[in-house]
Amino acid sequence: MSNVLRPYLAAVRSTLTAALTLENFASQVVERHNKPEVESASSKEVLLNPLTISRNENERVLIEPSGNSIRLSIRIKQADEIERILCNKFTRFMMQRADSFIVLRRKPVPGYDISFLITNTHTETMLKHKIVDFIIQFMEEVDKEISEMKLSLNARARIVAESYLTAFNA
Amino acid sequence: MILLEPHNVIIQTTVLEKIQKPGSLDVVFVDYDNVRFHLSTPERKTVLLLSMNIRCWDELVQYGALDILRREYGSLLSSKVEPDYNVSLEIDLEQAPAEAEARDAFVLSLAMMKRNALAAPFERGFATQKELETTGGQGELMKVHYRDEEAMYIQAAPDRVTVIFSTVFREETDRIFGKVFLQEFVDARRQPSIQNAPQVLYSSRDPPLEIRHLPGLRNSEDIGYVTFVLFPRHFSHSSVASGTISHIQLFRDYLHYHIKCSKAYMHSRMRHRVTEFQKVLNRAKTEVATTERKTASGRTMLSR
Amino acid sequence: MSVLAPIICDNGTGYSKVGFAGNSDPSFVFPTAIATRGSASQASRAPAVPSKPGHLASKRGVEDLDFFIGDEALANAKTPGYGVHYPIRHGMSDNWDHMERYWEQTIFKYLRAEPEDHYFLLTEPPLNPPENREQTAEIFFESFNIKGLYIAVQAVLALAASWSSNRVTDRTLTGTVIDSGDGVTHVIPCAEGYVIGSAIKHIPIAGRDISQFVLNLMRERGEMANVPPEDQLRVASKVKENYSYVCQDIVREFRKYDEEPYKYFERYEGEHSVTGRKYGVDVGYERFLAPEIFFNPEIYSSDFLTPLPEIVDDVIQQSPIDVRRGLYKNIVLSGGSTMFQHFGNRLKRDLKQLVDRRLDASVMASGSILKSSGVEVDVISHKRQRYAVWFGGSLLASLPDFYTSCHTKAQYDEVGPSICRRYQIFGSST
Repeated sequence: MSNVLRPYLAAVRSTLTAALTLENFASQVVERHNKPEVESASSKEVLLNPLTISRNENERVLIEPSGNSIRLSIRIKQADEIERILCNKFTRFMMQRADSFIVLRRKPVPGYDISFLITNTHTETMLKHKIVDFIIQFMEEVDKEISEMKLSLNARARIVAESYLTAFNA
Repeated sequence: MILLEPHNVIIQTTVLEKIQKPGSLDVVFVDYDNVRFHLSTPERKTVLLLSMNIRCWDELVQYGALDILRREYGSLLSSKVEPDYNVSLEIDLEQAPAEAEARDAFVLSLAMMKRNALAAPFERGFATQKELETTGGQGELMKVHYRDEEAMYIQAAPDRVTVIFSTVFREETDRIFGKVFLQEFVDARRQPSIQNAPQVLYSSRDPPLEIRHLPGLRNSEDIGYVTFVLFPRHFSHSSVASGTISHIQLFRDYLHYHIKCSKAYMHSRMRHRVTEFQKVLNRAKTEVATTERKTASGRTMLSR
Repeated sequence: MSVLAPIICDNGTGYSKVGFAGNSDPSFVFPTAIATRGSASQASRAPAVPSKPGHLASKRGVEDLDFFIGDEALANAKTPGYGVHYPIRHGMSDNWDHMERYWEQTIFKYLRAEPEDHYFLLTEPPLNPPENREQTAEIFFESFNIKGLYIAVQAVLALAASWSSNRVTDRTLTGTVIDSGDGVTHVIPCAEGYVIGSAIKHIPIAGRDISQFVLNLMRERGEMANVPPEDQLRVASKVKENYSYVCQDIVREFRKYDEEPYKYFERYEGEHSVTGRKYGVDVGYERFLAPEIFFNPEIYSSDFLTPLPEIVDDVIQQSPIDVRRGLYKNIVLSGGSTMFQHFGNRLKRDLKQLVDRRLDASVMASGSILKSSGVEVDVISHKRQRYAVWFGGSLLASLPDFYTSCHTKAQYDEVGPSICRRYQIFGSST
C-alpha cells in the first residue's frame, strides 16, 4: 500500500467497520418479507445518513447504511480514456460474475463504478472483519490492476508496432 | 503468432491434398477484407476451378490487376469467369509439378491469389515513382475501396510512395485500443534499429492533405487515417518490393488482429484477478458444517 | 445480412471442426489442443498471468501470442518449453483462457476471416450450464466483435444433418440422437428442438475402446508380433476404420470365416513410422467383432454390460409419452464411431425386437383384447454422419432463418451476456 493511499483506505476501513452493525430486520411494509432496507427504501426510519469519503474528485466511496443492510459504492480513479475503458471492462467483467461474489451488486449505483451490498445474512455467515478486508483489498488492487493493464497495453502496442515495422527491413 | 501470413491456408491445404488424391470438391471460403473464394471441380476431378470475388475488383483491374495475375498464373487464368465471382483460375492437377519443392511453391503461389490481385496498385505506384524520378510531378492517386467503409489510397511522388489507410473502429474499446496502437506505430520509428522502416503518420478524424480533396470522406470520431511513406529502399529491389507489398496489404488486418488479441489478453488477466478476489472473499466465509442431504430413494444430492 | 458465409465452429473434446456454412465438409478438422509456453502441469490455473503480477510483469510483451493449436500443437509437444493442454473436457470448456486463444488462432490463422464481418454458429453439449454460454458470448462479442452468434446444441444439429438423407421426408427436430465419438457415446432424445435432459444416457464405450479391443484381439492371435509396439494402436484403429462392419449374426459369421478364410480374411500392409520397415497383418474376426461391443458389451468390458439397443429403448421409455413415437421413428446416428457398415440396420433390428416383445407382452396382459397398431422404428444413417454436427450447423446456417435466430452484437450490447441463455429454435416462431 502506498503511503498516499493509506489515510483514505484507513478512513474507509473504520467507517465501514462502524457501519457494519447490522441486525435482522423484517420489512415493515410487506408481511413476512425481509428485504435489504437500503435497496427497498420502504421505511425511512431505518435508513441512516449516507456518507461519502472522497480522496479527490475522481476517487470516492459512498457508504449508505441502514438497519439490516449496507451499500458501498466505489468510484475508481480514471485518469484518461484508456483507464476509463479498462475500468469499465474490469468492473463489468466482475459484475458479470456477481453470483460467486455474494456481496457484489450486479449494477453500480449511478455515478459510481462498482457497488457492494452487504446484508445481515452476510455478516452472520461470514466474518465481518474479513469482509472489510476484502473490500479494502479490492480497492487497493483495482487501481494497481488497471494501471498495470494500461502499461501492458502500451507495452504490447509497442512490440506489435515494432515487429510490424521491423519486417520491412527484411 | 505475431505476424499474419500472406497466403490462404485453406487453398494451400486443399490443393495439396487434391494433388495427392484427386476427388470432387465444392467449397466456399473467405479471406480477409471481404474476399470470397469458391474452389470446385465442375467438370473433372483433376481440374480445379478457383474463383475469387473481391470487393474492389473494378478498381484493381483499372490499376492492372489482370496483368499481374496473368504474369503470376499465365495460362491458368481462365477465360470464362464463374458467375458471381470476379476472376477464375483453372488448375489442372495432372500438370502440377511432380517434385515436392516445386509443387509446394506452385501451391503457395495459388494461395497468394488475393495478395497478387491486391498488389496491382502498389506495383503501379512503385513503377510510377521510377518514372517521376526524372520527370517530377505527382502520380495518380489510386483508390482501393477494399472494405465497405475503409479504403487505401496510394500515390507516387518523385521520391516516395505514400500509402494511406482509412480505418474504422466500430466499437468504443476498439477505438481507444486502436489509438494506443497507432500512436505506438508512429513512435516506434524513433528506435534506432528500425530507422529504415517506412515513416508512419497517424491522424484521427481529419484526413491527411493528400486525400482531403476527395468527396465522401467521413469525418467522425471513429475513423482514423494512417499514412505510410515508402521510400525507394523499400521497393527498389524486386524481392524487397514483393515483401513490402504482402506486408503492407495486411496492415489493417494486423492492427485489428492485435487489438483483438489484447482484448483476449485483458480477459485472461481479469479472469485471473477475479479468481484472486474470489479467494480473498472466501476467507471471510466461516466453516459451515455440511450435512449430507439425501433424497427419499437414498441418492445424494449434489450441487454442481 | 452479410454475403460472407457464417462460420461454423464445433469444438469437441477430441477434435474441433471448423469451416464455413454452405460447405458439406468442415474446412479444418484438428485436435482441440493448444501448446503454450510453460509446463503442462503448473500452467493449468493461471497461464497468461504470472501468479504474482508484480511491477516487472506488466513490462512483459506478447508471450501470450506464443502458442500453437491443433496439429501444430501436438507437433510442438516435444519442443522444450511448450506444454500441451486440452481446453475442453467432456464436451465443456474447462479453461477459458486457452479456449479464447484457441478461437483467436482458429479465426485469424486458419480461417483468415475478419470476425467483425461474420456470423458465428457454435455448438455446445447437451446440459451445458447457461453460464458457459454467457462466457462464450462474452468472448465472442467482446474480444472478437462478431456480428452475430448462435449457440446450438450438438444433438439438435445432428438431427438437422439427417435431413440430407433421402429417406427423411419431413424436416423434424424430434428424434433420438446416438452420438459416438472418440471418448464417449451419448444417447440424447430431442423433442421439437429441445433436449430432454433427464433422459440422456451415456455409454462408456466409444471409438477409443473399439480400437483397444481390436488391438487386444489381434495381440491374442499373435498378429501384432511383427508390428512395432508404438504403431500397434494406430494399426488397430486403421483396421477398425477400414475393414470393420456390423454383422447380423455372430455365430453364422464365425462359421462363414472358418469355412472360407481366404475369402474373408483381409491383409493390412503398414510401414514403420520411423524406420520405414514394411510389415503386414492378417485381419480376421475383428472385422465384425469390433463394432459388436456396442451390441454385446460383455465381450469387451466387465463393468458395463447393457447393449446399445437396450439403452436407446430405456432412454425413449424415460421420455414423455407423447413424443415416444417420434423418438422411435427418427433415430439419428452421428460421429465417427457410428460409421460401421450396417450399424443402423442392426440397431434397428434389435430395437424393433425389443419394442415388439414389449407390445406382445402388453397384448397378452390385456388378455388379447387390446391390440396395438405397432410402433414404427427407424434408424437413419446418412453420408454426412462423421461430421454430422458440423454439417447440421452448416445446413442451418445457410437458411435465411439463421440470421433472425442469431443474437446480434447490438442486442448483446443492449442486454449483456445473459441474452445468450436463450436461443430461438429453428423453424419455430417463438
